[in-house]
Amino acid sequence: MNSFFKEYFDRTIFFCVLSLVGIGLLSIYSATFDAYEGRDFYRQLMWVGVGFVSMITMMLLPLRWLQRNALRIFFSSLSLLVLVLLVGKRVYGSQSWLGFGGLGIQPSEFVKITTMLALASFLSQSDVKATDLKDLVKASAILALPIVLIMLQPDFGTCLTFIAMFIPILYWAGASKFLIIIIIAPAFVAAASVFGTTPFLIVLVILGAGLYLLREENRFFATIVFGVNVVIGFFVQIVYDKLPLYQQKRIATFLDPNNDPLGAGYNVIQAKVAIGSGGLFGKGFMRGTQTQLSFIPKQWTDFIFCVPGEEFGLVGGIVVLGLFAILLFHGVRLASIAKNKFGSLLALGFTTLFAFHVFVNIGMSVGLMPVIGIPLPFLSYGGSSLVSYMMIAGLMMNVYANRKEY
Amino acid sequence: MIDDFGSADRRFVIKMVLTAGFLLLFARLFQLQYVNAELYGKEAEENSIRNVPKVAIRGYMYDRNNKLLVDNRPSYTVMLTPVDFDKKYLPLLSKILSMSEESIMDKIKLGRKYNAFIPTRIKRDITFAELSLLEELKDKLYGVEIQMESKRSYPTGARGSHLFGYAKEISDAQLEKQKSDYQPGDIIGSTGIEAKYEQMLRGEKGYEFISQNAKGQIIGNFDNGKHDILPVDGFDLHLAIDRDVQTMAESLLADKRGAVVAIDPRNGGIIALVSKPDYDLSLMSGTTPPEVWRALNNDEGIPLYNRATLTRYPPGSTFKMLLALVALDKKIIDENWTITCPGSFHYGNKIFKCEHVHGRVNVVDAIHKSCNVFFYQLMLKVGIDDWSEMGKQFGFGKQTKVDITEENSGLMPDRAYYDRIHGKGKWTQGYLISLGIGQGEVGVTPLQMANYASMLANKGKYYQPHAVNSIVNRETKKKENVKVDTRQVNLSDQSWALVREGMRRAVMELGGTGRAAKVPGIQVAGKTGTAQNPHGKSHAWFMGFAPYDDPKIAICVMVENVGYGGAFAAPIAGMCMEEFLYGEIIRYGKQPLPLEPNEPDEEPSALN
Repeated sequence: MNSFFKEYFDRTIFFCVLSLVGIGLLSIYSATFDAYEGRDFYRQLMWVGVGFVSMITMMLLPLRWLQRNALRIFFSSLSLLVLVLLVGKRVYGSQSWLGFGGLGIQPSEFVKITTMLALASFLSQSDVKATDLKDLVKASAILALPIVLIMLQPDFGTCLTFIAMFIPILYWAGASKFLIIIIIAPAFVAAASVFGTTPFLIVLVILGAGLYLLREENRFFATIVFGVNVVIGFFVQIVYDKLPLYQQKRIATFLDPNNDPLGAGYNVIQAKVAIGSGGLFGKGFMRGTQTQLSFIPKQWTDFIFCVPGEEFGLVGGIVVLGLFAILLFHGVRLASIAKNKFGSLLALGFTTLFAFHVFVNIGMSVGLMPVIGIPLPFLSYGGSSLVSYMMIAGLMMNVYANRKEY
Repeated sequence: MIDDFGSADRRFVIKMVLTAGFLLLFARLFQLQYVNAELYGKEAEENSIRNVPKVAIRGYMYDRNNKLLVDNRPSYTVMLTPVDFDKKYLPLLSKILSMSEESIMDKIKLGRKYNAFIPTRIKRDITFAELSLLEELKDKLYGVEIQMESKRSYPTGARGSHLFGYAKEISDAQLEKQKSDYQPGDIIGSTGIEAKYEQMLRGEKGYEFISQNAKGQIIGNFDNGKHDILPVDGFDLHLAIDRDVQTMAESLLADKRGAVVAIDPRNGGIIALVSKPDYDLSLMSGTTPPEVWRALNNDEGIPLYNRATLTRYPPGSTFKMLLALVALDKKIIDENWTITCPGSFHYGNKIFKCEHVHGRVNVVDAIHKSCNVFFYQLMLKVGIDDWSEMGKQFGFGKQTKVDITEENSGLMPDRAYYDRIHGKGKWTQGYLISLGIGQGEVGVTPLQMANYASMLANKGKYYQPHAVNSIVNRETKKKENVKVDTRQVNLSDQSWALVREGMRRAVMELGGTGRAAKVPGIQVAGKTGTAQNPHGKSHAWFMGFAPYDDPKIAICVMVENVGYGGAFAAPIAGMCMEEFLYGEIIRYGKQPLPLEPNEPDEEPSALN
């Protein structure tokens, strides 16, 4: 019995998820208990229950059935996004919620999963090659559908997530490094040119070196790619000007939050102060002055990391980072040992999806990243995101259980 | 090409990216929480910024002569910071403020929910005695402080209970509806002009940014107050109201139940709007003690009810002009058409009464002497359709869209109404006879009647009745006039002339029913009405306007359950019109002049 359990039950993922959800609950309790008499906490507790049931369900679903029906599931999930545009609720200026009674769900969180299933299912087909241009176009089309629908809401942060989760699985599936550079480079060039001329030049040098080192590729084509990136860099200022003002302000504030301490920079500064003032061991549970004084708006959603950061200090921060690190490196290992291509792609795709959320969200809380409104998996308040991340964990556990099957 | 799926070097690249990410985050955390922890710790101690809302000054109200009607006066509010307060002293505080311990605890809990480090309101507008006691016991009552706030005040004799309305602390239900704009404890206009013009009066809240330490104690202004946002004062309202006429009408109705509405027929501005019994607005602003609420709600005179816009009574004989206008304009009769009044009118087996035996009367006589028989017969000649159409043109049966408060639309019965009530073809002309003298189903509000008087005064020009003439931005001094709907009811000059002459005679000439509305030296036109009431004495009506040739005021007076309009309503109207047109009451002779040093006049100079 025990060996059966060991063989089919992924204790590492389960342990990490359990611990992170627990830390999340403690943080939400601390951040919201005084203000709303724990209403948010109990609601989240209910979602944790729903999440565990979903996680176990996802773990037990037959992987082959998922692989065969991934596209069908994907297309039916898109109808939810259309529904959101038609009848959705507006929260913070974007229409991304479906209301059922008093509870709201955010379909884009679940579409992340179905999109990943569809991409993994497509890329794992025996006649599909990640090096083949025709197949790459097809994969991009799968990705483009939800992105267009989410852009219409509009939800910028979620769109970025979709793009970010596409690149690693393409890479894992065997796409050429040259292609990955073509996709990634413009983003870095664009970001760098917003920062200033020097970072822009540095990125160009790195790009040039990278292209030169990949000798196996066509030199002429590489030169064109380089040229296009230079042009992109010069034109990005125009694109930047066309961004919605609040995004511009966020980027400008990211460069120097002190420019606007009471407006756009307020969150970032207060978050940094909260985490910084936590020190080595923190101020103690329910003792964080920044947390308890509600200095940080949206603290229990996007800025949840401030709570363990302030109340448990560097030790608390390392525990959270450590749990995520265990989860992510385990995920990469899982992708390597899974014999089944579909399972391997799923494990890697979901792992990198988590990584993106962790780096962007915590990076934002510590002032390394612009304020992009994406949640911290397992910790942030919110039913849809919690349940969807627990479903992802369940699917990864599923891959583990089926890792030896071809 | 080799299949590169999940190759070892690709796994290595991904692991490197993950490692780099975690190392970067770890390094940053190390920097923030170890290297710079002291700096940020100090910042958390000292430089935590909080914004404290600053309430704007609510706009004032002025009358048509720029006399102040409503302003603010300072009041003292007891604030309490939940974390600082020692519950040991709760009984003491409860005793000083004469509030129950539970109600204080409720407020503290509510404040704690919002933020335990920020002072929350315990009691508004405390008395001087309470204030001095609190000051004396200051060291015991740690966390209790006094804050200056402003409270509505009514510096003149004009009460204007139903007109101005009151602004009070926002209720939970109101807060739920307008969460984005208001916070608990904010003042919101709840009735009358205060409610209708809330957006203009309230101004914009300002914010002061203060630095707080980790204990929540205030250290001082953040960055020397450079980022503070000053509150923007509310806009002032300039009303069409005449303060003296309003006060006069209120005093004349003091012991009665009824309403007075006076309108300027030149523009529709409301000169006075009174409903009695009323209540003291200063009791209602801010927070109202529950016993005051109970008393007002249980008062059988229903003082909270606005009789000027909500009552729906039959208008009685004041409605005769409407019927006369239709008949003359449609050429159903002319000035020479007469009937003989024998003192009653028989239709089928029913008898309809008149007050007197008027003998031979034409249309002008019939209005002058208020002959019912003339209008019984005329109603049968005119019929329901033209009559109700004309009534609607004069604004009956629908809301006037006045800018004060909610109103009753009244009832102007038409063919469709009778078909609905009695069934098609199941009613006869006999049902209509009493409509001719303003009895039966027809129902009007005093405001609609004042508008009707105004349209008779200015020969058919309708102006949407309005209390507010203009809104003034205090800072820019910019004045914006309130836009008003207008339209014209076109009738022949002859029709207006005859009907208005009947009204003039009703007040000015012998045998008229409205003679009590006379104003010395001015030609007044008007009409009385006595609306039968199954529950008691009749309701008395008077509506009219003055001066006859160049009307400046149109008025309607309604007094409940007293009897004849000529005896009870007309005198009130006369006094109000006199006050408006002369600026004082002159009928009793001028007041003796106060003793003052003699000024040189003709007599002494003649002696020289």
